[in-house]
Amino acid sequence: MRVTVHLWSYFRDLAGTARLEIELPVGSSIAQLLDAVYRVQPKLAGLRKSTLIAVGVDYQRADYPLQPGDEVSLFPPVQGG
Amino acid sequence: MKRLLLLTTDPIDEPALVAARQMGAGMGAAISFSGVVRGSEAGAPISAIAYEAFGAMAEHQFHQLFDQLAARWPTVESLRLVHRLGVVKVNEASLWVEVVAPHRGEAFAACQWLIDEMKRVVPIWKKPVPNEPVGRAVSPPARDEF
Repeated sequence: MRVTVHLWSYFRDLAGTARLEIELPVGSSIAQLLDAVYRVQPKLAGLRKSTLIAVGVDYQRADYPLQPGDEVSLFPPVQGG
Repeated sequence: MKRLLLLTTDPIDEPALVAARQMGAGMGAAISFSGVVRGSEAGAPISAIAYEAFGAMAEHQFHQLFDQLAARWPTVESLRLVHRLGVVKVNEASLWVEVVAPHRGEAFAACQWLIDEMKRVVPIWKKPVPNEPVGRAVSPPARDEF
């Protein structure tokens, strides 16, 4: 299945792109998606512990089961205000 | 609870927002907070902060916080929040929040809670804009630009 990954803030700058298309086995979790992302964007791997993850507009945990076509966002801690 | 949420690149017009305030007869507290861009970040002088948001998620998360605030402080009558995006210069407001309630206690508590939660879950990020070097030479326009 194909999942779209959006990168925000300095994650986008580090990766040099705002969007990735990742192919995964059906039934993969967010944790498996992150492993796949870090294979193609190793600069992001060191930020894994501080990475916030959303599917659509809701936060999700690493064990969340992804669906084909999901839009996943990865970003650093937020800083509004 | 009445609510207003605005994410905008326009300057925050606080006098206009205050002039538009509506309060029921039972309301005795209207408190507002302005978050203003400081002239330094991590000890270094800056001229502005550039704010970036994941807009759809930011709005969704704000409305979830508004729902939680209404449940925790059911007497709050009105909540308005404006957040600037894009480049906000030093001394300009990046955030404005107003809470209207019967008494100051719940108004202050709700406002403090909302801003704390915003800084935890709403996907907005900031990037400091460094000061331009003082006295930097500016090249005159080329002759054919006149």
